[in-house]
Amino acid sequence: MLDKYVCLEKLAARRSDEIVVTTMSVSMPWARLSDGPLDFAMVESSMGQAPPFALGLALAQPQRRVIVLNGDGSTLMCLGSLVTIAQNPPDNFTMVITENGTYEVTGNQPVPGAGRVDYEMLARGAGFAHVHTIDDDDDFDAHLPLHFAGEGAQLFIWKIARTEEPVPKPLHYIRERARRLRQALTDNA
Amino acid sequence: MIEASALLAEIKKNGVTHVVGVPDNGSRALYEELWADPEIQVVLVTREGEAFALASGLYLGGAKPLVLIQNTGFFEAGDAFRGTAFNMSIPLVMIIGYRGYKSMEPGAERVDTAATFFEPTLKAWNVPYYAIHHTSESDQLSAAFSKAAATSLPAAAIYPGELI
Repeated sequence: MLDKYVCLEKLAARRSDEIVVTTMSVSMPWARLSDGPLDFAMVESSMGQAPPFALGLALAQPQRRVIVLNGDGSTLMCLGSLVTIAQNPPDNFTMVITENGTYEVTGNQPVPGAGRVDYEMLARGAGFAHVHTIDDDDDFDAHLPLHFAGEGAQLFIWKIARTEEPVPKPLHYIRERARRLRQALTDNA
Repeated sequence: MIEASALLAEIKKNGVTHVVGVPDNGSRALYEELWADPEIQVVLVTREGEAFALASGLYLGGAKPLVLIQNTGFFEAGDAFRGTAFNMSIPLVMIIGYRGYKSMEPGAERVDTAATFFEPTLKAWNVPYYAIHHTSESDQLSAAFSKAAATSLPAAAIYPGELI
């Protein structure tokens, strides 16, 4: 089992100019590591829509990698997006499903199918060719470079230990987060 | 009657790079025009909510997307529309098919609630909209683009029936 805080620290230490889209219980821990224009916390409900949002960014910015960190509960909210992404997977797209089996920010209620759903099988069935399930630190360290440079769209399932994370409250209002992301991506275009 | 080729011309005139949506009988002819056009990329989604998230990402990345869906899909997409395109202040234009429009005419046997719910829902969600009933009104699509640009918020063009 992985410690999500350690995983996020390792991801942040290696990250350079990638866009990072976060959701729910990952958003605030990530914001403590990085909260610049290229970090986009997607937490104002619309649960499940972070992967297609990130796909849009990746299609518009083919020279820049987009990493989306999505919970298992969020993934279940919009399972069809796995098919949407896999039908024409951009090379600069990385999706992480953080699997802890619960809706963490609302009190760790179980997600449907907790412990029974095989997210790797779902992703492969949807058409993802590069899927990796990671559940220990050595495996995480070995796969870390692939998060940034794997060929084709990459999907990782992090098997993480559950924690107690409050409802995320980003520092910046969503319109401000959107404005500064677009500005960072288009000002020198 | 509305010719799909006229709508395509309006779409291209407004510099659209990507069309995101779900095809239906009403939009079939326009999708066929779009697939045949090498300048516009069509991205299909599995449910309409995804279309608003995906289009919002495209816009923030510097592209100019358009959403093409049916009114039933717009209903389904409510929270995604609110949480992405609207909350992010995206000047996103959507073309929405008006399924059931004829069922509201006097003497129709049964009413399609997809039609009766449609315009009240657009109003409730603060979406300005422009109706296109005939090919001659295709420039209403450009009016929707102008409104979206002026407000930096989504705007819609709606059409009854099928495109030809």
